This record gives sequence, structure tokens and C-alpha cells, in this order.
Amino acid sequence: MKLLVVEDEIKTGEYVRQGLSEAGFIVDLARTGLDGHHLALTEHYDLIVLDVMLPDVDGWRIVQALREAKSTTPVLFLTARDSVEDRVKGLELGADDYLIKPFAFSELLARVRTLLRRGIVPAFQDQLQVADLVLDIPRRRAQRHDVRINLTNKEFALLELLVRRQGEVLPRSLIASQVWDMNFDSDTNVIDVAIRRLRAKIDDDFEPKLIHTVRGMGYMLDLNSEG
Amino acid sequence: MTFRSISLALRLTLSIGAVITLVLLGFGYAVERSIDRHFVQQDVDELNAVVDAVTQALAETQPDPAEQYLAQRLAGVLAGHHNAQFKLSSANGQLIYASSAAEFAGFEQEMSATDAISIETVQIWRAKERSYRGAVVQLESANGLSSDTLTLTVATDIDFHLHYLYSFRVYLRLMTLAACLIAILATWFAVYQGHAPLRRISAEIRRIKSDHLSIRLAPNTVPVELTELAVSFNDMLDRIEEGFSRLSNFSADIAHELRTPITNLRTQTEVALSQSRDIEQYREILYSNLEEYERMAKMVGDMLFLAQADNHQLQAERVSVNLATEVQMLFDYFEAWAEERQVSLVCTGPAVFIQGDRLMIRRALSNLLSNAIGYTAAGQTVSVTWALGLNNRVMIQVENPGLNVSPEHLPKLFDRFYRADPSRQRTGHGAGLGLAIVKSIIDAHGGGICAKSEEGQMIFTIELPKAYEDASIK
Repeated sequence: MKLLVVEDEIKTGEYVRQGLSEAGFIVDLARTGLDGHHLALTEHYDLIVLDVMLPDVDGWRIVQALREAKSTTPVLFLTARDSVEDRVKGLELGADDYLIKPFAFSELLARVRTLLRRGIVPAFQDQLQVADLVLDIPRRRAQRHDVRINLTNKEFALLELLVRRQGEVLPRSLIASQVWDMNFDSDTNVIDVAIRRLRAKIDDDFEPKLIHTVRGMGYMLDLNSEG
Repeated sequence: MTFRSISLALRLTLSIGAVITLVLLGFGYAVERSIDRHFVQQDVDELNAVVDAVTQALAETQPDPAEQYLAQRLAGVLAGHHNAQFKLSSANGQLIYASSAAEFAGFEQEMSATDAISIETVQIWRAKERSYRGAVVQLESANGLSSDTLTLTVATDIDFHLHYLYSFRVYLRLMTLAACLIAILATWFAVYQGHAPLRRISAEIRRIKSDHLSIRLAPNTVPVELTELAVSFNDMLDRIEEGFSRLSNFSADIAHELRTPITNLRTQTEVALSQSRDIEQYREILYSNLEEYERMAKMVGDMLFLAQADNHQLQAERVSVNLATEVQMLFDYFEAWAEERQVSLVCTGPAVFIQGDRLMIRRALSNLLSNAIGYTAAGQTVSVTWALGLNNRVMIQVENPGLNVSPEHLPKLFDRFYRADPSRQRTGHGAGLGLAIVKSIIDAHGGGICAKSEEGQMIFTIELPKAYEDASIK
């Protein structure tokens, strides 16, 4: 997977590139709008991360040029201003998602993966399985080690999200948004409590432990705890 | 097209000056007319006296030897009427008698004879540089002198009157002009003096600077017409001062709130770098830093939201939101946390739709609920109830048992960084912006919010516009 990051802020650009590279992507970094514009139109990328505020050619122009050239490459834009007009403008011009600075890198990574996955129609699966954990999707049932586990509706939705995105660190805000449709930061530790209760049902009586806390970032479901 | 409005003093002076001028001119005209009329009446009286005297002379005169005796008697008529002259002629135009200076040529032809002399029948004419007022009268001859009808032409010299009238008119005009000028000047002065309170208020207002916002005008020292202005000006100052102090407190609070995490980060990093450590310790420090950064990022995000609300950039979408569904969804979200805290959640209310921005309303209710759950002791209940209010409004109450908050602190709950209990600093309850955000969201919807604390119950009531049911299929 090849990504383009257009970001004029030196440190931000460097760390985003490093983070995405370490997450397994091939990343090109453009430091000016002009470079970004050129690369976006000449090279093929699977996704473009675009800063809106660039000193020369701003992010809007790049998205516009891209869409005029009939390119469908997903674009995620980064903005420092959380104004409705900015958001609407970006989405109208053909951007696919946006993040407001300061953002958490885990959030960026999760959004990037969501966008990349979007084009692919997931193979219809009745069952999801990680180790001895089996999820029966149509009947919304979970069992582990052949033991049926009683989950509430939301607990099942949470577990399904973690299993579907196995090995990915999911920030609390993303979990809140996907499971409860809460698209804003909440002050409380609701997600922590929900995970703790899920963990009590899924992990407490079984080995190996599947749900892992990634400190300062979020939660992850995987066989081993190293993300 | 905008014109700068004309100065008040000029406007008043012009209008009052115009009125005074008109009144004086009218008055002068009336005086002039009345004097003129008085003179005419005097002339008429004199002419009538002459006519009477002539008539009498004719009556007393014997027919024979008439001529000489009549001339004597007629000459005596003018005694006491030295301005008057007359001429008596018979019906066939034969002159019977004429006083010495009589110059009636031309006048007699123009005049038609009258029976009686009055103001309406007298005429003016000029002869030999002099002006006369006179009339022609037909007299019945009593003694059958020579013919039955006699024509008497009488006139009186009015130069003296005209001269007097002329100088009186000049005098009157000068007086009118002088009076107008004096009146206008006096008006201007009075208006200028009348504006003195305005200048005083203006000088007082000029003293008000951003660091002296406490200055107020004294409404009872200004004229009664300006009291309302002073009062509304003071009200405006109150609002500005309040906003100003809130803003400067807000900046101070931001600085204070940021100082703590920055101090933590800095100290921790400095200590960490002061000697070499193993990887696990470095990792621990970075994790700890990450938590601080997250807290700061969240605070900055909240503050940006509030700044948008302050700048009226918070544009609430207007869609129909099913309140019961929304509350149930939030209960689902908070359920696990509430259960862990052993707090139960109940809601009651009719099926109703409110009009607003779904995401914002959810955020507002979520903040209220998390606040309520966070302050409720184990074993207690948080309840959400709603009902239809007046004027197509929906009243929503979020109620939880909690400590009593004194009434003077209640409105401050919505202030930024306000904490009812100062000891509850940074205990996972955000930075104290939650309720401020609720208020700005409700304000952006044109709704209202208030807090009430009684008998150990904390009640937040919000009021939002109700949506029409038919728009509810969204």
C-alpha cells in the first residue's frame, strides 16, 4: 500500500511518515503544496493524507485537481480549524474524511485503514474466529473454547469491531463512534468500563488473553500483545 | 446614500428662529394695518365734518342775495380743518365755490359720486407732489339755489400721515430684524446650554477605558430626558464588563490549566534525561507523557468549540430528533459505567421530537448525563424526564441526587473551568468545560438552560424548540 502525505510542518510530516511506515505502508512525503500537487497527479497512490493549510497550493486545490482528473484515490485531510464550513467544503470537494489537529496518531492510523478497506467488499462471513474465540455473526453469539458466552447487544458489537480489526490499535474515540455512534470526545471512561466488562467475559477464564490495552492509545484484539 | 444628520443646535435654532421671525413679521403687519386704518378713519371723519359743514352752510343760506353770502359762509367751513379742501359745483358743472388750493382736475372725472363717505368709498390721488384722500358727494340743495343737485368734492392732504407711516414702517422693520437676531442668538445659546449635560456625559464616557470599566453614569444627575440613555448605557457597560472579565478570567484559566500538564511533562522529561535508564523506564515516561498530551489536546479541542460558539460560528443544523431514541441511545452508552458505579438510569416522557443538530444535542445530553452520573453516589438514581412546555418548547430535566449547591453558585456552574468543589481538581472529570459546552450548544439552538439545587437533588433543565411531527421521518 502506497500513501502520500502532504504536510508542510516538518516535525508533523516526519512523524506521520515514520508512523505510517512502521505500520507497514510505503509513504511519500511532500513538504510543499506544489510537490504534493505534482506527486498526487503523476504517481499512483492508494490514499493521500493532505494538510489543508499549505503555504503555496492549498489542500483544497489538490483535492479539486485530483477529482477533476477523475482520480478516485481516497483523501483524508488534516485541518487545524474545526469549522463547519471547512468540513463541508472539504467533503464537497471530494475529500473522504477529515481529522482535526491536534489528532492522535492511533486515530489517524485507524482512519487510514478504514478508508483503505472501504473499497473492498468484505467476503461475506458468517463466522469470525481468533484463536478459540468464535463469533456467529447472524445469530450474534460468541463462544470461546466451545463455551457459549452471554453478551449484550453492545458488547457483541464491540467484540465484533475488535475482531474485525484484529491487530489494529483502536482509539477510544473510534470505538465510541463505531459502536455507540458517539462522534465526539466524551469526558468519561465509559469505553474503559465497557472493555473491562467485555474482558471479564472473554478473557478472564481463558488463555491466551486476547484483548490488550495499548497505553495512551486505545485497545487491540490480537493473539500476542505486541502491536 | 447617507447624510450626516444636521447638528441638533442648528436644527433647533433654525426652526425656532423661523417661527419667531414669522410671528414678528405677522405682528408688524398687523400693527401697520391697524395704524393705517386708524389714519383712514381719521381722514374720513374729517371729510364728513367738512361735508356736514357745507350742508349746514347751504341750509342756512337765504336764496337771495345768495351768492355773496354763500361764499362767505363756505369760506368759513374750512376753519379747524386746515388740511381739507373742497369744491362745490352745480349739476351742470358750473363752479359755485372752491377753496383756495383745491386741485381736483382729473379726479372728478374718475370718481363716481357717493351718498356717504366711508373707509370703502374714499380714494387717494396725487397732485402737485402732494397726496390727497378725497371723495365726491351729491348734495340736495335745500333752498333751490340754482339747480336741485350740487356736487361737492372734498379732499384732505395726507402727506403728513403717509410720511409718518413710512418712517414707522422702517422703524418697525428694523425692530423686527433686531428682535429676530436677538431671538435666534438667544435660542442658539439656550440650546447650547441645554446640551451641556450631553457634553458632561460624553466627557464621563471618555474616561471609560478597558481598565476602568467600573465607571457608571449617575442616572439621577442627568436631565430626565437623558435618564433612559444613561440607564441603557450603564446596562451595556454591565454586559461588556461581565464579558470582559469572563474573557480575561478565561485566558488566565487557560494558562493555569495548561501550566500543570506542561510542568509535569517538562519535569518528567528533564528527570528522565538526567541519567541513563533502561528501555522499560523510557517507555513508561513516554506513555505517561502521552496521557498528558491527550488531556491537553482534549482541552484545546473543547476550547476551540467554545471559541466557535463565542464567535457565533456554531451553526446548528435543524433536523427532527426523536428525544426518546436519543436518550435511550445515551443510556446504552453510559449503561456499563453507571452499572459499575451502581447508579441506575431511568427516563420518562412522551414521544416528542425536538428540532436541532443531532450531534450537538447528543453531545449536550451526554455531558449532562456524564456529569450527573459522576456526581451520584452508589445506589442512587439519575433520571431524565421531559415534557411539552409552552410555545412549542420541550423541557428536558436531568436530575440526580447530589450535594446542595448554594443558589449564588448555580449560574456559575456553566462558567468555563468552574468547579463547584475546588478539591475535585482533575479527577478524570475533564477540565471543567463540559457544562460550558452544554450551555453554548443550547444557546446555539435558541434554547435555555438553568440549574436548580433543592433537597439534595441537582436538577438541570434545558428547553429546546419542538419539531413538527411530520418532519420526523429522518
